[in-house]
Amino acid sequence: MRPKSRTDGPLPGPFRESFWRSPIRGPWLTSVFGLVLLIGIPIMFATGLFSYAAYNPNLAAVNDETPNKGLLGFYLFSWPTHPIWLYRLNQGTHVTLGLMLVPIVLFKLWSVLPKLFEWPPLHSLAHLLERISLVAVVGGIIFELATGILNIQTYYKFPQGGNFYTLHFYGAWVFIGGFVMHVALKFPAMVRALSGHSMIDVLRTNLAKTRPEPLDPGGLVALQPDPPTISRRGMLAFAGGASALVGLLVVGQSVGGVLRKTALLAPHGQEMTGVNGASPDFQVNMTAEGAGVTAADAHASAWTLTLNTEVITGTGMPPEGTDTVNKVATLTRADLLKLEQHTVSLPIACVEGWSTENQTWTGVRLADLAKMAGVPEPSSMLTRSLQKGGAFSRAVMSQAQTTDPNSLLALRVNGADLTLDHGYPARVIVPDAPGVHNTKWVSSLTFRR
Amino acid sequence: MRWFSRLYGSNPLHLLVTIACFAIAGYAANKLAAGGDVKGILIWLVGAVVGHDLILFPLYALADRSIMTVFRRRPPTLPAVPWINYLRVPVVFSAILLLIWFPLIFRLPTTFQADHTTLPTNVYMGRWLAVTGALFLLSALAFAVRLAVGGGRRSPDRGPALVRSDRYERPGQYERPGQYEDMASGLGLTGGAPTADPRERLPRVERPQ
Repeated sequence: MRPKSRTDGPLPGPFRESFWRSPIRGPWLTSVFGLVLLIGIPIMFATGLFSYAAYNPNLAAVNDETPNKGLLGFYLFSWPTHPIWLYRLNQGTHVTLGLMLVPIVLFKLWSVLPKLFEWPPLHSLAHLLERISLVAVVGGIIFELATGILNIQTYYKFPQGGNFYTLHFYGAWVFIGGFVMHVALKFPAMVRALSGHSMIDVLRTNLAKTRPEPLDPGGLVALQPDPPTISRRGMLAFAGGASALVGLLVVGQSVGGVLRKTALLAPHGQEMTGVNGASPDFQVNMTAEGAGVTAADAHASAWTLTLNTEVITGTGMPPEGTDTVNKVATLTRADLLKLEQHTVSLPIACVEGWSTENQTWTGVRLADLAKMAGVPEPSSMLTRSLQKGGAFSRAVMSQAQTTDPNSLLALRVNGADLTLDHGYPARVIVPDAPGVHNTKWVSSLTFRR
Repeated sequence: MRWFSRLYGSNPLHLLVTIACFAIAGYAANKLAAGGDVKGILIWLVGAVVGHDLILFPLYALADRSIMTVFRRRPPTLPAVPWINYLRVPVVFSAILLLIWFPLIFRLPTTFQADHTTLPTNVYMGRWLAVTGALFLLSALAFAVRLAVGGGRRSPDRGPALVRSDRYERPGQYERPGQYEDMASGLGLTGGAPTADPRERLPRVERPQ
């Protein structure tokens, strides 16, 4: 016997089961949305973890936006430089898929909303714990989507002084704790509901033939359903269509080329006009103005590149009492242009999901500069920028990244000198490094032994 | 084992999974709180749930019911083909786009152009409106096609294609005895014998006590 209070409870409105009237709500529909999320969310989580690894946070403190990660960094590995589209694909997937899951999450929440008003609200200790975990699941997914969505629009109205990385990374782990529990508890019910009747039958059932699911013990199916106004296949098309529309209007900012014009609602869906002729130019996400770099700072007559070496002990800290940084050379832009020039074809890919197609970069190999500094196999390389402050005015590259033949200190791009917004006089370009690690307006390179 | 289930409300595995998952979430929550702005984060986390469940959902559910009621009560001749989804779909699609991109649409990120992208934010309102317009146009076209096709296929006992759409107001349509058998067979499922409480016919699944 189902508890009497569910229909005749003391509270009115949504706390009464008879309040909920949708004839298509039920375990089957919820399970379909659940299955989509069960596939999508692990992809989001994995690409998010990879994205953190791409910063090589264990290499140096300046690379780590969440230095208190503790055990949550257990999986970190040295980020590769091949294939060159790896980071671009990872971030394009993370952001595009995340946006496409927004409608699915909303439809899934709609499908289970009667459960929020379940009465009595608690049956047992186990039930209490489940409901607490749902705060992590529902609050967590909305929190993750909201922080991500605001961040890609450079709208940093976050708590905690707007530190996106801290919120999104730790928030993801809070969410995933609740998510794993939710999946563990609901997976059998999902399989049961999905095997209850076939997708093909549902796709063949029109509105006139749409009937409620048999009453379920969980209380999703309405006791007194209204006549249907949409079929189940219609509801699936509704959710899928919304997801597809969001994806269609955004994916072009990651794919690039002519598809960028289809990214009507995406932060990098507009073509950029080049300052000196290149039109369309490729996208930037930090202008010289934003970085506090003026044309005078970066003028070829004022600018020099300093090459340093530094001894790092096994613990990653300089030996005590030694002046560890040793300046070995100062080069002007003209000096750099006299060195052997290499041309590579690499994309710029941003943590925010947008990316460029491959651009043709010309400059000096980082490996050649390391040799020139007398450290042909540096354990890592610290890049400093003219940029005033900011989290990414410094970045550290691994040995693999520094010695990769595709890694350049670029002086020119697409056959012209770099523009100021692209990092003139010189910028780092390393395959598969996050955009912010391809430091612009480079002022010094320090090769570490 | 029974004493445990009675006390806890589920089996021991449930408790183990719960503890493991709470440990992960709690560990991360602790790191999150170490940032100092616990209040801000709690407001966001709880605000997310309240904002969706108690504000967004009631608003859209109410809007959906209101629009149906308004059109049902008003006398204009409404087509017998279900029309509500031709309204729902473009409205919801447009609303989801607004929900995601409202910062750019309302030009809220002030440093977007100068500090970040060099791109103007003043195009997004127009783009969103254009997409919305296109969605409604497509929906109207689809509805027109549906009307034309539906009109050609109508059966004589259903009357003309354009009638007052009051057929959903027939009381008790879904409340006659044995309704659940119909519903089950409509889904290709077979129901048990009818009883006073239809839920009684389901296999007994214990709710957590």
